[in-house]
Amino acid sequence: MSGLAGIHVACRALSFAYVEGDRSIPAVNEVWLEAAPGSSTALLGPSGSGKSTLLLLLRGLLEADAGTVELDGVAPGAAGYPALQRSVGLVFQQAERQLFAASARDDVAFGPRQLGWPESDVEQAVAESLERVGLPMQRFGERHPYSLSGGEQRRLALAGVLAMRPRALLLDEPFVSLDPGARRVLAAVLDGLRDAGLTLILATHDVDQAWALCDGRIVLAGGRVAAAGGWEFEAGGEETLRAHCLRTPSLVELWRRLGRPVAEAPRTPAAAAEALL
Amino acid sequence: MRMAIAQYYPGSSVLHHFDPRAKIVAVTVVAVALFTRDAFRALAVYAALAAIGLVLSRVPPVWFWRGLRPVLWLIVLTFIAQVLFVPGEAFFRLGPIGLSWRGLELAGYLSLRLVVLVLVGSLLTLTTSPISLTDGLAWLTRPLRALRVPTEELALMVTIALRFIPTLLVELEAIMRAQRARGADFSHGGPVRRARSLVPVLVPLFVVSFRRADDLALAMEARCYVPGVRRSRLHPLRSGWADAVLLALVAAAVLAASLI
Repeated sequence: MSGLAGIHVACRALSFAYVEGDRSIPAVNEVWLEAAPGSSTALLGPSGSGKSTLLLLLRGLLEADAGTVELDGVAPGAAGYPALQRSVGLVFQQAERQLFAASARDDVAFGPRQLGWPESDVEQAVAESLERVGLPMQRFGERHPYSLSGGEQRRLALAGVLAMRPRALLLDEPFVSLDPGARRVLAAVLDGLRDAGLTLILATHDVDQAWALCDGRIVLAGGRVAAAGGWEFEAGGEETLRAHCLRTPSLVELWRRLGRPVAEAPRTPAAAAEALL
Repeated sequence: MRMAIAQYYPGSSVLHHFDPRAKIVAVTVVAVALFTRDAFRALAVYAALAAIGLVLSRVPPVWFWRGLRPVLWLIVLTFIAQVLFVPGEAFFRLGPIGLSWRGLELAGYLSLRLVVLVLVGSLLTLTTSPISLTDGLAWLTRPLRALRVPTEELALMVTIALRFIPTLLVELEAIMRAQRARGADFSHGGPVRRARSLVPVLVPLFVVSFRRADDLALAMEARCYVPGVRRSRLHPLRSGWADAVLLALVAAAVLAASLI
């Protein structure tokens, strides 16, 4: 898949409040965030901590009350910013709800067509992204989206975002309400995207998935950054997670219980087995 | 997103505490009476009644204005039509258009009547929650059951529909956002293009709504809802002497308006 080189995503003192009637409900408070090209960051925090709002702000679907989102060092208002903004893909929570077309390929083609790409490019982008999420065109292209399973629908929605050739991918709770099989397949797809060089930002409650997929993590609490950077399990990282209604990833806990250095905790069961045997 | 559907202003004024049935009857009586006698004096009585209601409701006046705004064009149109087309001795003439005192009087009367009508209606919806409104309507239409009209079920349907409007608006916003992230554009292009741009929003919205309706039906059945069976209520409708006073007051006003 071409054009996957990640972009740099940064936000500076970003703030946003929802307005309801004459009340203002702050959701994101002076958030600073830095995601290097090709990095993968988990956005952790309890419900209502501002994760989804932050993703909407990063994609430019909400307008910040204060602060800016810089993409590849370009600030809003500068030439080329809209194009960079379009290269940030956002996969919503329960993304399968956005499916509307009569066939999988048409649904995936929606984004590229909106961008006005020539039909041959659209075809190619659709085929590539369907392939990438494990729904090959020959088998799934003509299927009705609603005839697919829940996990397949979610991956189809992901393909709809990938078809626009994003260079950063924001995912809002991508694993929620999927069965273990569907989770495993989706996790493998996301692994592939990270390895291909996309910048990934993943909002989730699932620390095990986050640990397997992401190099770094940001903990949000009450709309503020409570901790940012690496996982730092050797330096109080577990305490940080626990303080914000999150638990330690199972493999890290295993390593601690085995008396091994948590800094070397494996990311996947396979890696754990290799280290232990 | 803000929409003026069955606006209710939560409060604890006298008007909020009346039995919804009494309020519905009172408002219906006034609305009908408004149209039975064409006299400024009668209108003045009802306007005074509405004004008293406005003060007693303790609802900020801007809320009444919100109810009035959508029908403003109708009121203005009525006024213009009456001024221009009522025959009478013209005191001012410009080409084929003539203004007569009779026309002005009638125009003023009809427009004011509409304003009073809307205000009285707003008094009801602003001080009565949609739920008690449908409860009251269900009770008042009960005699229709003899004609096999499923009044309770209709009331429940209306209640559920009202209850889910905000939910659907949230859903709508989320879907629009998702499609916008995929490059959808809802604000540009001609009417045809704009209508077409709604397909990616409406299809998912319908799917979500049907799924929700299915879930709700199952949940209600699981909690022993049987259509047509007489049910008890969490908040039974209770009327007291205050409601009798309200109805007596309205009756007195109607009587006064028809005599003066």
